[in-house]
Amino acid sequence: MKRDSIDPRLVAAGSGLIDRSIFADQEIFEQEMRDVYGKSWLFVGHTSQIPDKGDYFVSQAGRDAVVVTRDADDRINVLLNVCTHRGMPVCRYDKGNAKRFTCPYHGWTFANTGDLTGLPLSSEGYGGKLDRKQWGLIKARVAIFHGSIWATFSDEAPSFDDSLGDMALMLREFMQGPDGEDDGLETIEGILKYEIHSNWKFGAENNAGDLYHDVSHNSVQRVGLALSGLRGRHVWDADKQTFKILNVAYPAGGHAARVSLYDKAGRDYQSQWAMLPEVDEYFRDAHYKRQERLGEQGRILNRGGIVFPNIAYNSAGRWQITMWVPRAPNRTEVWKWYFVPKSAPQAVKDALRHYLLRYGGPTGMVEQDDIENWASAQIGAESEAARRLPMNYTLHMGHAQWAWPEPWLGEGAYVDEGVSEHAQRVFYQRWAEMMGGVVHARELEASL
Amino acid sequence: MIGDIEREAPVTTLDHRAPSLKERIEDFFALEGELLDERNFDAWLELLADDVRYWMPVARNIKHDALETEYTRERQDVAWFDEDKHTLLQRVMQLQGGDHWAEEPFSRTTHITTNLRIESVANTEITTRCRFIVYVNRREQEIRLFVGKRTDVLRVDGDGFRIAKRSIFLDQSKLLFKNLTTFF
Repeated sequence: MKRDSIDPRLVAAGSGLIDRSIFADQEIFEQEMRDVYGKSWLFVGHTSQIPDKGDYFVSQAGRDAVVVTRDADDRINVLLNVCTHRGMPVCRYDKGNAKRFTCPYHGWTFANTGDLTGLPLSSEGYGGKLDRKQWGLIKARVAIFHGSIWATFSDEAPSFDDSLGDMALMLREFMQGPDGEDDGLETIEGILKYEIHSNWKFGAENNAGDLYHDVSHNSVQRVGLALSGLRGRHVWDADKQTFKILNVAYPAGGHAARVSLYDKAGRDYQSQWAMLPEVDEYFRDAHYKRQERLGEQGRILNRGGIVFPNIAYNSAGRWQITMWVPRAPNRTEVWKWYFVPKSAPQAVKDALRHYLLRYGGPTGMVEQDDIENWASAQIGAESEAARRLPMNYTLHMGHAQWAWPEPWLGEGAYVDEGVSEHAQRVFYQRWAEMMGGVVHARELEASL
Repeated sequence: MIGDIEREAPVTTLDHRAPSLKERIEDFFALEGELLDERNFDAWLELLADDVRYWMPVARNIKHDALETEYTRERQDVAWFDEDKHTLLQRVMQLQGGDHWAEEPFSRTTHITTNLRIESVANTEITTRCRFIVYVNRREQEIRLFVGKRTDVLRVDGDGFRIAKRSIFLDQSKLLFKNLTTFF
C-alpha cells in the first residue's frame, strides 16, 4: 500500500524531534524514492569525466542507473540505462567511448543521444512501423552548473536554477578554483564506490551541518592529517584570523552550507600547507587572486554542505562530492568524486590527491569514523524499544535569522551561528514537505 | 629482532637443508600476516623499507579490449590506498589511540598469502606475485572478505627482507564493505 502523505507527527522539525522510523521503514523508503528522489535534481557527475565526444560513464540518479554521455554535438546526455524493449542495462561498462549502445538481449541499439537507431527485424517483425522516436532510451532533463552535471526524470520539478535557489552562491563557490575562477575544478580520474549499512539520510544530515560531532574525529586530529605542520585535519585550522561559524541553510530547497565568515575582507594569507612550500606558494597566490576577484564575498570560507537530497560537497582544500545512492532503508551505496584545481601545477594536484585519499572514503582517516557513526546510528533507528523516543535535533534551536549576518548570503538564507542542528532541522523540514507534509518553511522555529 | 619475534631463517624441513629463497619469502609473508593479526603494528612497520610505497588501486568494469584501464593509474588517479611510510605510521598511530571508532575494539583478522611466485631477482630486489585472502570479523556480526592479487618488491636486508613496494589488486570494483581499516 502506498501512502499519499506522510504522518505529520513523524517529522516535527519545528520542535526538533524526528521519529526513528524514517530511517528504518520500508514504506517510507519507497515513498521517498518516488516523492523525494523522483522529483529532485540529482548530481550525476562532472563534465571533466567525459572530455571527448563519445566519452561516457555510468552513474546513479537515486536508485536509477544512468549513462552520462557526450555526443557528437558536444551535448551532455543523461540516459536511463534500461533498454526500452525488455529492461536490460544497455551499457555494461563503468566508462568508455562509444557512439552507440547495443542491448545484449535482442540487439536494440541506441545512439549516445538515446535515439533508437538499430532495430533487428525492423521490417519483418515490426512492419517498419515501430516509432523509433517513442522507443529511444528514456532521457533525463539535464542541467550543467559550472562543470557539474545534474539530472531529473521528473517533468514536474522546477528548473535546476529554481531548485537550487540562493544556494547557487555556495555551489558556485565550491566549483571555483581556490583563485576564485569559475568552473575551476577537474575530477581526479576514478569514482570511489562503497557500501554502508545505514540509511542515506544519516550521511546527508551530517554533511548539512553537524559541527557537534567533532569528538568523533579526535583520533585523526591527534595524528594530524593536514599538511599545515600543525595537528588537525583541516588546513584552515592554521588560519588564526577571526571568523563566525555559520550554518547557512536554504529552506526553500533544503540545501545548506557550513561556512566560516571572516570578519574582514581582504585578509592576508596565512600558511596552510607549510610542509610543502611549493604547494603553499600556489595557495598563497590563489588566495590573493580570489580576494581580488570576490571582494566582500571573499570573506567566506565555504567548508562544505549539501545539495538536497543526497549530495554533499567538501571544499576548502578538501574538494570532493559524496553521493548517497539509496538501496534500502538500511543500505546505501556511497559514491565519491575527488577534485583538484584544474589550473594548478602537477605538484599541487599530487599533494591534494594524497591528502584527499587519506581524508575521505573507506580508507579515509576522517570518514572511516563517520561511516562507523552512521552505521551505528542505524542500529538505534531499528531498535524496537527505542522507537517510543524520537531522535533529538534540538541543539541550539530558535536562534536562526533570515539573510543574516550579510544580506548577500541571499534572501532565502536562514542562518544560525555556531554549533547547532539548525541545518539538519531545515533538511528534515524540506524532506517532510516533499513527502507531503505541511509547507511552513518560513514559520520554521518561529512557531515555537 | 622484530618486536619479540625472532627473524632468523626458520627450519622448514626435517633434513635441515637451507631454505630456498621462495621458502624464505613464504615465511616472511607468514610472519608479516601474523604480526598484523596480532595487531603488532609497530613490528609490522619495521618490515617496511623507509621509502616504501603501498598502493591499492580501484578496479573498474571495462570492455574486454581496454583491460589496461581496469585499474586506476598509479600516481595519477584515485586509489584506495596510496601511502608512504609516514602516512602508514599515521594510520598505525590512529589505530593505537583507542579512539578510532572504526577499529575500536580491534577487528579480528586472518591474513593468508598463497600462490607465491618469484617474478624476478635483480641485485638486491626481488619482485614477487601472490594471492591473498584477508578475513575480517568486526564486533559480532560484521564479516569482510577481501581476496585479490599482490605484487611485492622485497629488498634483501641482512638475513631478511624489507618491503620496498606493495601493489594490491583487490577483486572488487565497488567496495562491498563500509571500511578498509585493515592493512594488506
